[in-house]
Amino acid sequence: MSFRHFIFLAALFSAIEISRADGTNDFFAQGVELNRAGRLPEAAAAFEKSAHAQPAAGTLVNLGVAEWRRGHAGAAILAWEQARWIDPFDGRAAQNLKFARAVAQADGPQLKWFEAASMWLPPDAWVWLAGASLWLAVGALTLPQLFRRRKTGWQQALAAAGLGIFLASMTANLGVVSRTNLGFVVKKNAPLLLTPTREGEMISTMNAGEPARRLRTRGDYFFIRTANESGWIARDAFGLVNE
Amino acid sequence: MVECSILNVLIIFLLLAPVLLSAQTPPQIPQAAQAQFQVAQPAADASSPVTATAVFDPPTVRVGEKTFYRVTVSATESAIRWPEEISAPAELKFGASTRGQITQFLGNNFRVFTSFIYEVRPAAAGHFAITNFSVDASGPVVEIPAAALDAVADSSNLPPARMLALDLSATNVFLGQPFRVRVMLPAGAGNQIEALREIQLSGGGLMLDKTAMRQSIEVANVGGQLRPAFICELTATPIAAGVQEFFAQGFTAGREFSGPITIRGQVTIPGGPAKYVLLVSEPVKINVSPLPADSEPPGFTGAMGKFFSDPPQLSTNRLRVGEPVHLKITFHGEGDLARFVPPAPPRSRDWQVIADNPPATGFTLIPLTDEARATPAIPFCCFDPVAGKYSDLTIPPLPVTVVGEGLPGELPVFDDEGKSAVPLKLSGLAPMPGKTVASLKPLQLRGWFVGVQLLPVFGFLALWQWDRRRRFLEAHPEIVRRRQARRALRRIKRALQTAAAAGDANAFVRHAADALCIAVAPNYPADPQALVCADVLAQLDAAEQNGHAGETVRRIFAAADARFAVAPETQSGWLALQSEVEAVLLKLEEKL
Repeated sequence: MSFRHFIFLAALFSAIEISRADGTNDFFAQGVELNRAGRLPEAAAAFEKSAHAQPAAGTLVNLGVAEWRRGHAGAAILAWEQARWIDPFDGRAAQNLKFARAVAQADGPQLKWFEAASMWLPPDAWVWLAGASLWLAVGALTLPQLFRRRKTGWQQALAAAGLGIFLASMTANLGVVSRTNLGFVVKKNAPLLLTPTREGEMISTMNAGEPARRLRTRGDYFFIRTANESGWIARDAFGLVNE
Repeated sequence: MVECSILNVLIIFLLLAPVLLSAQTPPQIPQAAQAQFQVAQPAADASSPVTATAVFDPPTVRVGEKTFYRVTVSATESAIRWPEEISAPAELKFGASTRGQITQFLGNNFRVFTSFIYEVRPAAAGHFAITNFSVDASGPVVEIPAAALDAVADSSNLPPARMLALDLSATNVFLGQPFRVRVMLPAGAGNQIEALREIQLSGGGLMLDKTAMRQSIEVANVGGQLRPAFICELTATPIAAGVQEFFAQGFTAGREFSGPITIRGQVTIPGGPAKYVLLVSEPVKINVSPLPADSEPPGFTGAMGKFFSDPPQLSTNRLRVGEPVHLKITFHGEGDLARFVPPAPPRSRDWQVIADNPPATGFTLIPLTDEARATPAIPFCCFDPVAGKYSDLTIPPLPVTVVGEGLPGELPVFDDEGKSAVPLKLSGLAPMPGKTVASLKPLQLRGWFVGVQLLPVFGFLALWQWDRRRRFLEAHPEIVRRRQARRALRRIKRALQTAAAAGDANAFVRHAADALCIAVAPNYPADPQALVCADVLAQLDAAEQNGHAGETVRRIFAAADARFAVAPETQSGWLALQSEVEAVLLKLEEKL
């Protein structure tokens, strides 16, 4: 491939990305306008399209606001949790979650220590951090030998620090993977069933926004565990935080 | 002493208990009120003996004419085990038969009569009799008396058999299309009119609706003659396609008219107790066509006729989720509205649809989501038998605005002392999309990311391989020298060819000498600049040293050394050595 071809392909990809971003921004702007006009279902649909094309923390915050104003507490809480998944430092999402859980009398998810630690940084940052720290440590240990340089103290300290960061980030990565099974009930009074069938016996009903952990999937049903009970719930009544 | 006292007190209370504690008495209902709860059920007359009569009606007919052999038994139809065949003279030809049951009320009890009727035609003149025979009436055996028939060859004064007449509003109908049936009992002698009871249409393939029955006495066309008749108008609906044959049957019932009756003209209604005589009509045929199934639109509930609907009216077009709204739909037309089946409520994801109780034709609609923009279309159609096709009466969707339930945007908060603190509230909209990701699925769960993590592994493997190679070359420097010599030899050979092509003999000789030195240098090992002709010759075989190759090397070095003479000479013949030099170089290069 010649340099010219490379430049052409790079320009083509850039144009595609720019046009896609423009489309996403169009939906975002539409959603903002529709929300201001009080056309909440249309606004929510526009934000959803924008988030589907390019997941963004601000888009999901706005989607949650539109859903909340429509009365869909579960969908709103899920959207804000997704916004925090992308950007754990998003203040609007955190504020809205606190407010929504106070209004809806819904608890937040019960996180294990490594899951809580994984929320200090965005999920992708942890994996890059783990990769970079590992190879930094490996490089600090092996490269001086390869290049016939004398091992120095700072190189060994760098390797130790890299290994330490790698081990710490691995627990956070484990937390990220574990959090992918976290979800929230998006429909009001969603039935929790004994069996994954439409005619399944109902164990109880779940409040919108209630957190649960997915354990299994079968057809159109998730087997979930809440703080108190477990059972099957329809897919359309339960939203995972990373889907 | 104390224990005895307590025991005595307890015993006294137990003894007085029946007196002091009276049981709850049931509520007393007066006899008048009790009578209202009880419905008097007349008892069946089971004490009277089962009797039977048998007659030919009329008892005298012309040969080949129709008469009816009628047997009446005072027992229920299900109790009588009626024989399949009746023993009769061969001259009597039996035709269609039927049976019927009627109840006679006798003040405080009732009696049941069952009639068996056979159509009989005598084939020859004479006096014929059906002898008496017995039938089992679920216990008692009933003796059916003998009946006699006189068949005469010719007589114009004989009255015909008394029969019912049938008049149909249509004989070509569609399946499910209701039509009117008039069952007529012509007046007897002296214009005496009798009522009809237990009217049935026998023959199958029809469903009779007696709820819309009309009774009248009027002059009607019966067998081509205008005669006063008792007319009972019913609605029949064909339930099987094809040619359907049926006849009417009913019991004469004197003046026992069941329900209101319209009387037109002068007639005589006989008094006295009714004589229950089972009569039948001549059979009639109708042609029932099936509905065109291929063109049936959705929503057909069996409505037959020509119907129209007014524009649907919604009680409001702005409503909240879960708030019911009524959709009023009015149908009118030429069909039978009494039997009109309204459209079935459709299934909708966004709406709960509840049909009004019949005969109302409206719907109650409940929006389940604020995404609903219009009421659901309600498919409906009717079949127009006149046009022979379906007409679409689908109720169109009506635009509505559904508002969600809404949730508060602010929550007041109070501290421990009950004072108002900073309220929790919903944030405003984010002005920008903010931090974006390619997907919510984390990199940890994506396959390509594992591939990216392998890239540094490949880098380190490459470095390790490079280090191994380097160590190997350090242990074997001759490999490096030979490789360097080959590389230098390639360069000098190109320069040699360039000089030869340019006709530059001095440059040619210089490059040739350098090339020969470079080609043999790794073998010592030594710097090519430090080598002389003898060193080059030493790398040739003895034969080559004394041969043409050795001579070429000597001449080249001699010419090269001549450069350092006080007056160097250039000989164009040096260029002729190019092929020999290249041959020597080739031999030396093979040893590298």
